[in-house]
Amino acid sequence: MNRWIREWSVVGVLALLLAYLAWRAPAFFQLQPLLSLLAREAPSLVVACGVAMVIIVRQIDISVGSQFSVCSVIAGLLAAAGWPLAAVVPVAVLIGGSLGLVNGLLVAWLGLPSIVVTLATLVALRQCLNLVRQGEFVNLPERIQWLGLSQSQGQWLLVGGAVGLVAVLAWGLRHLAAGRWLYAVGSDAEAARLAGIRPRAVTLGTFVLMGALTGIAAMMNVVQSPQVQPLTGSGLELKAIAAAVVGGVAISGGRGTVWGVLAGLLLLACISPAMVHLHIDAYWEKAIQGLIILAAVMVEGLRRRRNHAR
Amino acid sequence: MRAEPAHPPAPGAAAGPSWRRWLLRYEVLLLLVLVVEWLLFYHFGTSVNRRGVTVGFGTLDRQFDILRHSCEIGLLALALTPVILTGGIDLSVGSLLGLCAVVFGGLTHALGLPLPVAAALTLVVGAVAGGLNAGLICQLRLPPLIVTLGTYSLFRGLAEAFTRGSVTYSDFPAGFLVLGQGRWGGLPVQAWLFLAVAVSVWIWIHRTVAGRACRVIGFAPEGARFAGIGVRGQLTAAYVAAGVIAALAALIYTSRLGQAKADAGLGYELFAITAVVLGGTSIFGGRGTVTGTLLGVAAIAVLKNGLATLPVVMRLNAAEELAGLLTGALLLAALAAGKLAERLRLSSVTG
Amino acid sequence: MSERPLLAFRRITKSFGAVRALRGVDLEVRAGEVHALLGENGAGKSTLIKVATGAHAPDSGVIELAGETLERLDPALARRRGIACIYQQPALFPELSVAENLALRLEPAAGWRRVAWAERHRVALALLARIGAEIDPGREVGTLSMPEQQLVEIASAIGAGARVVIMDEPTASLTRREQERLFGIVNALRREGVAVIYISHRLEEILALADRVTVLRDGQSVASRLRAEVDEATLIRLMVGRDVAQLYPPSESAPGAVRLALRGLCCRSAGGRPVSFEVRAGEVYGLAGLVGAGRTELARTLFGLTPADAGELWIDGERVTIGSPQAAIAHGIAYVPEDRRRHGVVLELPIEQNVSLAAWRRLFPLGWLRRDRERSEAREFVRALAIRTPDTETATANLSGGNQQKVALARWLATRPRVLLLDEPTQGVDVGAKSEIHRLVRRFAAEGMAVVLISSDLPEILGMSDRIGVMRGGELAAELPGGAGATQVMSAALGQPVEGTAA
Repeated sequence: MNRWIREWSVVGVLALLLAYLAWRAPAFFQLQPLLSLLAREAPSLVVACGVAMVIIVRQIDISVGSQFSVCSVIAGLLAAAGWPLAAVVPVAVLIGGSLGLVNGLLVAWLGLPSIVVTLATLVALRQCLNLVRQGEFVNLPERIQWLGLSQSQGQWLLVGGAVGLVAVLAWGLRHLAAGRWLYAVGSDAEAARLAGIRPRAVTLGTFVLMGALTGIAAMMNVVQSPQVQPLTGSGLELKAIAAAVVGGVAISGGRGTVWGVLAGLLLLACISPAMVHLHIDAYWEKAIQGLIILAAVMVEGLRRRRNHAR
Repeated sequence: MRAEPAHPPAPGAAAGPSWRRWLLRYEVLLLLVLVVEWLLFYHFGTSVNRRGVTVGFGTLDRQFDILRHSCEIGLLALALTPVILTGGIDLSVGSLLGLCAVVFGGLTHALGLPLPVAAALTLVVGAVAGGLNAGLICQLRLPPLIVTLGTYSLFRGLAEAFTRGSVTYSDFPAGFLVLGQGRWGGLPVQAWLFLAVAVSVWIWIHRTVAGRACRVIGFAPEGARFAGIGVRGQLTAAYVAAGVIAALAALIYTSRLGQAKADAGLGYELFAITAVVLGGTSIFGGRGTVTGTLLGVAAIAVLKNGLATLPVVMRLNAAEELAGLLTGALLLAALAAGKLAERLRLSSVTG
Repeated sequence: MSERPLLAFRRITKSFGAVRALRGVDLEVRAGEVHALLGENGAGKSTLIKVATGAHAPDSGVIELAGETLERLDPALARRRGIACIYQQPALFPELSVAENLALRLEPAAGWRRVAWAERHRVALALLARIGAEIDPGREVGTLSMPEQQLVEIASAIGAGARVVIMDEPTASLTRREQERLFGIVNALRREGVAVIYISHRLEEILALADRVTVLRDGQSVASRLRAEVDEATLIRLMVGRDVAQLYPPSESAPGAVRLALRGLCCRSAGGRPVSFEVRAGEVYGLAGLVGAGRTELARTLFGLTPADAGELWIDGERVTIGSPQAAIAHGIAYVPEDRRRHGVVLELPIEQNVSLAAWRRLFPLGWLRRDRERSEAREFVRALAIRTPDTETATANLSGGNQQKVALARWLATRPRVLLLDEPTQGVDVGAKSEIHRLVRRFAAEGMAVVLISSDLPEILGMSDRIGVMRGGELAAELPGGAGATQVMSAALGQPVEGTAA
């Protein structure tokens, strides 16, 4: 229990918020709006889990927003060109994975600082996309929408898929030896090396996985709208990092769970609709998000200090 | 854990006579890149100005345009240089620019304060916001990256909340618009302000003990404490100064566009950080110069504006995109080259 | 106890630059014996351990494990072959649980397999129970105390089936009860036929536990005896028994007035104990004691890094409070720290900037850097301290250890101090630079400074000090006159009665 106190505290805050909503604004709990909210947040959740893993190995990736856009646009173009969905999805994953591979090689093999590398790829990928597309939207064929199902079926499928993916990742990070390596490398790369783990390979693998997850998330986004905007995904990196930090992933590496990220993202995602229902001016959303991030990092700092005092 | 510095140009590290050492300095290489860029554009570039007259890249008008458009990002890059020298980072400067623009608009329009008072108060808001970052980072010892990610969101959010997302302050008096649109002594007015800030930061970083302290903290935070440097005070100064400069950038931005909106300066922090790192400042702290930052800003600005004058780029209408792409590539190339040079140097020392 | 050695070192040598850490060490350890390794600080014990665990490759000599020569030993191989080391500062994953820390060391490094958490928990519980440690395997290692982390290390060594377990001062941070439990573990290991190399400064422990004792001195093994053949007096004699080979510069000055006076000074919140002594102007006051005796902690309190919260501090007859290093500098206290590379100098900065770093208030009173002044100041020190460098713009990292140390000295001399605290000023410095530093210290004293010399190098303390304070367990255990003998100092530091002098 004590080990997961950070995760439980987020769940607790989320539960409090939901309870308060249930009391003051029961309308919040209507099925369809709630389902739409969850479906809208499903791509962010998948990306946030990837970012969390990168942070667990004590790196950072701020290029996910651009990766997301690139995957979305290419997937959209392929779909528009008549490719079947079953072929588009693997290609999106592959593209995401190779973008992650580029970041991973620069960070793990050349030993460059990940924040600068991913800053560079953030800018370069974004502009590359603009250059090729000139801000043009991609119109998607009807059959892609909601995976060819009805809207609510599609939304259920997306939410279910995201939760399933989170469950798989959570299981892998907890119950696979390779998943535990992420924590070992993030906790102490040198000790990990002595224990027979190859920190560079783990770092590289994490970046590739991050990219592949971004590809999946991009697909989850593409099927939800009739068009792909080239600017989709900008700012996603900060949202994902915020969800990870709020969910108890320590920026110093080696600590955090996917479940915590799920709770963190839900908390951040609920703010906006909650504000609508509580008749708070919607424009306070970002400020409140910022305060939540600061509160989370302060709690983390105090926890660390207490542990050190012991 | 301290990773190795990513940039090789340690003062005095290269051997040989002083002119060779000077030539091998990163800033000089960057200056060369800049000159090549400029010559290329001067030779191949043409452009059409607002009145439909074709003007070349080399015209004074064009250069002033570049200057006007790069002032705000340049100011943010100057603000970030001392922070990054201490081994920290500030992601919140772009958001703070937005907040300060809105605050200034609100003070002049909603409260009807006289311009100088409103401007002064805006600078105070910048200082307080920087102080908030500093307090969380130095007093509570939280990681700068996450703290300023939080305030990045917070400041932008406050700006949106104040304007309810839609209010745009415009109709500023002409006397104020001079700041961003007028000329003084032949140069755009904001260029003089930019110059003043650049000189001040340069003096701070390269000529005072406080700047030396930033560098020492970036190299060795513990070592700085053992040498009797007031680490908290110096860090606070760096973050507060970053806030004030961001506020100044907000005033110039507002004046240049003649309006203040909550989305002012959105994404500017990334360009500013890119300029600083491209200018040779190590993201791990310690190494870097203000001259390098200025050259980094100039390299990006000239690239962006110069590409727009190339006929082929004009046909494609892709100046900004190409510039961004090339900037990213340039940044990676600079980093990788630095890393390789460092490895070579290490192997020559140990081998 | 078998006769053939399980682990044998033969004529091992190892140098770091000009410093010869090991000059031909022979050591034989048998299965099922506790072999104590004894020696002053700097005698070569830690280097020997690092050679045994593969962290350092010896320059020459042979390591044999069960009669087989180990070529190219690296940490992973050493661990596989059953050589485990329990360091004072355990190298564990602080964010992970005890069970997982053990598992990462013990389980095969295959990635695509399921982690059996219940099994991990059970294995950890069994291992911890075997050494009698009551630690919940689910606890995060970062929340464990230092001794508990040590127990986790021991459990991992046992779990890995270690045949040789090296313990480096395992009792340094343990309470009485924890010590006794540890002795129980050591005895259990011996019964299981494990060879234990036990390093400790506590003679009573060694005499109670060891089957055999080897004494190292100046990088050589001077004696290897059975427990029955030695007593405390013999061991102390073996450790220090040598002529003071180096010539130390004579004391030139007659001590002046009391410059520095401590009256029960300590930093309680950092675990300090009250200490009182006085140092006169022109005097070198040696602070002797074993590693961990509280000397560095005292120096840090004097310098304001861990400000004193009890007792009084007087400088030149004036009561002062030192709340920060800045205040210490303002009152004329200078501290040349022990860890030169991390605290003493900023390696990346040029020499001249290192020299001026602590003296900003004097050199640049307006806060304005004056390169000319800085450079001439640095040049003066380069000349006066004979720092070997082409110019003062060279990065300090490019200098040898001894010259770096002189830069650290110069930094503090530039503040024109009244009190100079030197913490291990000659550690890792070659012989030539060492005697130069000694002459310099004498000169500083002659110029009227009160010098406090912290050193673990016994001859240095004996040769340099006008008076010697011996610390033990955070307190001043004895104060001896300058001419005191090595045996007296060592006895006081080890907590034995000091012959001839009242403590």
